Amino acid sequence: MNSLLNYAIPGVPYGCEFALMAVGLVLTYRATGVFNLAFGAQAFLSAFVYDLLQRADGMPQWVALVVSVGLLAPALGLALDRFLYRRIPQASTTGKVVVSIGVLIAIPELVPMVFSATTRTRLGHLWLPAGQVYLHLAQTPITGAVISTVVISVGVVAVLAAMLRWSGLGLRMRAVVESRRMAQLEGIAATRVAATAWVLSSVLAGLAGVLLLPQMGSLDPTQPLEFTALLVAGMTAAAAAGLTSLPGAFVAGIAIGVLETVVQQELPSGSVVAQGIIPALPFVLLVAVLLLNPRLRTLGRDSDPLASVDPPPPQPAVTTRDARLALPMRWGFRLLVVAFLVSSLTWVSDTWVFPFGQGLAFSVIFLSITLVTGMGGQLSLCQATFAGIGAFTTGQLAAHLGLPVLLGALAGAALAAVVGAGVALVVARVSGLLLTLVTLAFALFADSVLFQFSWSGGGLAGVSVPRPQLGPVSFAGDRAFLLLAFVVLVASAGLVVAVQRGATGRMLAALRGSPAGAAAVGIDPARARVTIFALSGAMAGVGGALYGSIQGPVSPADFSYVVSLAFVLVVVTTGSRTVEGAVQGGMAYAVIAQALTYVPTRFAGIELILFAAGALTYAAHPEGIVEYQRSVWLERVNGLLRAHDRYRQERGGGVGPSRHGDGGYGSRRGAAPGAPAAAEVVGRG
Amino acid sequence: MGDPAAGERAGSGEQSAAGERATAGGGTAVAGEPLLAVADVSIAFGGVQALAGVSLAVAAGEAVGLVGPNGAGKTTLFECIGGRLRPDGGSVRFAGADLAGVPAHRRSRLGIARTFQRVEVFPELTPVEHVLVAARARQGGGMLWRDLVRRGTPRPDEVEQARALVGMVGLADAADVPVAALGLGHTRLVELARALASSPRLLLADEPSSGLDTTETAVIAALLRRIQRERGVAVLLVEHDLALVRRAVDRVVVLDSGHVIADGPFALVVADPAVRRAYLGRSA
Repeated sequence: MNSLLNYAIPGVPYGCEFALMAVGLVLTYRATGVFNLAFGAQAFLSAFVYDLLQRADGMPQWVALVVSVGLLAPALGLALDRFLYRRIPQASTTGKVVVSIGVLIAIPELVPMVFSATTRTRLGHLWLPAGQVYLHLAQTPITGAVISTVVISVGVVAVLAAMLRWSGLGLRMRAVVESRRMAQLEGIAATRVAATAWVLSSVLAGLAGVLLLPQMGSLDPTQPLEFTALLVAGMTAAAAAGLTSLPGAFVAGIAIGVLETVVQQELPSGSVVAQGIIPALPFVLLVAVLLLNPRLRTLGRDSDPLASVDPPPPQPAVTTRDARLALPMRWGFRLLVVAFLVSSLTWVSDTWVFPFGQGLAFSVIFLSITLVTGMGGQLSLCQATFAGIGAFTTGQLAAHLGLPVLLGALAGAALAAVVGAGVALVVARVSGLLLTLVTLAFALFADSVLFQFSWSGGGLAGVSVPRPQLGPVSFAGDRAFLLLAFVVLVASAGLVVAVQRGATGRMLAALRGSPAGAAAVGIDPARARVTIFALSGAMAGVGGALYGSIQGPVSPADFSYVVSLAFVLVVVTTGSRTVEGAVQGGMAYAVIAQALTYVPTRFAGIELILFAAGALTYAAHPEGIVEYQRSVWLERVNGLLRAHDRYRQERGGGVGPSRHGDGGYGSRRGAAPGAPAAAEVVGRG
Repeated sequence: MGDPAAGERAGSGEQSAAGERATAGGGTAVAGEPLLAVADVSIAFGGVQALAGVSLAVAAGEAVGLVGPNGAGKTTLFECIGGRLRPDGGSVRFAGADLAGVPAHRRSRLGIARTFQRVEVFPELTPVEHVLVAARARQGGGMLWRDLVRRGTPRPDEVEQARALVGMVGLADAADVPVAALGLGHTRLVELARALASSPRLLLADEPSSGLDTTETAVIAALLRRIQRERGVAVLLVEHDLALVRRAVDRVVVLDSGHVIADGPFALVVADPAVRRAYLGRSA
């Protein structure tokens, strides 16, 4: 018993860190309806600045603390509210999560660019000297670090909880989250309540960052290992508290810290258990809590009684185009494709053929996001994991069984499809935010456990995927490979269009539009999700195999959860609902990265910042900001055409061609794919 | 304007198939048992007893109105039949089979179609696509494979039937317009067309007139009658508008505070003192 206590006590400060993260997640969710995945990034920013001031500028500890936590953190919270979340109060929970992913990715990329410093090491502790032993508890020495972590965490959370409970602020926050407009009608200044919540949670994040830094070493979300542990445990504790109770989240966080410490010490350290089972436990716990906590069942379900007054989402851009534009645009597109192929097979330099090939592979992976997010309406954060399964399977089969790469890719796609279906089966009963969090848990799990074995992702060493060979034809050269990738992409795009236009696409559109209505006509939502996840998994698997094959050596870092998040950011920027969006995203992702090799490495983060900024507009333009801009331009051209028609009519020079985009299935022949709707209708919506 | 008869022919053919499936799947069909038999259904939300032992029956091809003041439990009863709520006690039987534990989407495939008080349409889809979705969903799986083979184009006969059905509810002009762009009156018609697409034997209509003007309400009333008389679909209609109820149904069941307080022909039920009390208060 005493030895158990010996293990448990060191777990408490770890637990405090998890608890602060959990409390931060609960606070923002309760107060603003945002599941703020960027909490860790906010913590990172304050910690980074604190470190910088104290170290480089030699400021006293308390001044650095005031600047980083007392000034910077609230300013960041206000900025997030003012420029991002206040503009999207009616967005879906998923939309808000995407915005927070944008922040999560952007901040750590932005910070080193602004401060031109990258090294972060463990620093001295707040308040009490870290190393000094103050007392012994059950023969365990209690250091200053432990005391200050525990005391400060408990104190801060107690003050917060008291504030929410007794000042009436908590009640107002709940009212605003329940129905912002209803609360406003009742005379609550909803914007001020939300701003307060963001300031509070941002200060909490900052404080957590400064407290955590000495223990965690690094809070950079792109330096995953330690941050993953924090994120997973924090999410578990927040979920265990039903995303509602601050004290509950705090206690759950400490309990998880203690539990993990005890498990690590007590369980046998045999090879299989130590390498496979123990590291997997936090993820299993997270998924179990997400799926089994009955208080999470209603999560993200739109309960706003005034929701029905919202306008419907905009139609994809392509439906607004004038019928007369269809033909020139289609031929223009074909010309562009031919020009791309011919030039990259002939005169384009090798430096650029390679990223072009990468872009085609990315496009195939991104089509899997078109399937699951654009069509399936579910935000999956493990698409890079599916791609990794495809790549690693191909490589392993080639290395161990000598299987041809093309067959290996098919096997990888099949395996990724099975895994995708498995993920969908696990989440059969949930959708929306819960599903998204489970996919994130799976991505984190694959990252730090599944891909770390020599038989899977090969850990740090990685896996080598050869270039394919088809009979006498070798695709070893970059240009030959580009041609192959192009063929695969065209086939994949054809498949996506077929599914989109067909019965499956209509069924998914029905499920997106109204789950209740879909059930009323006999659509099984769980089955639909399994179908689309399997298909999406297969697509990502093929894309991953292509990517692996063009890269040669790939490692789990190529398919980490951060990569999954980056993929999502790219696709929601260029458009998750159309094939064009995925292809534009894939090409842009590879080409911009190549272009940035010409600038100082310090600015390499610009690419992700660019797409993160695009994703910040997701809630306002769920069809993708690029897609939206395209529709604006199309509308302008339409306007010019209409003006031209009127002019000709006034001149009496004959009647201008009528503006019928009328597709319908009978008369579909003339209409472009995916544009069944009459063009003149959309403006009214 | 499509050919309404084509849709009717197709509809009646599929209808018997749906019936066979229902009996085959459920087991004990008893001769003479009504199509829908609700027996002693109770459900409570927290301390509120929404339904307290409600029983009612709808025969095949019959049109029944379900009325009652707000909060009487009408929509709750609907959700129990439709499968979105699970009653605490009692049973719901359809075509001889007990529906306990059958999820909402499976009930639809058994032959129960419904419309919603707050419309639940698919904004991105056109009326024709609504009908296509419903007709396909009833057939279950195999969709993906057919999409890939046919490159996403629906079969011409499917489209023809869908157009006929959309024409029948009077939406031929708006057949290819995304529903998001239609007004409430039209969306209610879309819901009806979609409900009919699955060739149901029972149609649950939840306040189809709410939010509509008198002309639109009259259209709905006539349509409900046609659905019942021409297609032989039994109708259970929840409605506040008594004029609509009078025109659309043969028999009326009155709910008040979770109890059935009257059951009979429209004229008799409206004259019933207990019903008048429930609607107008004790003093009436």
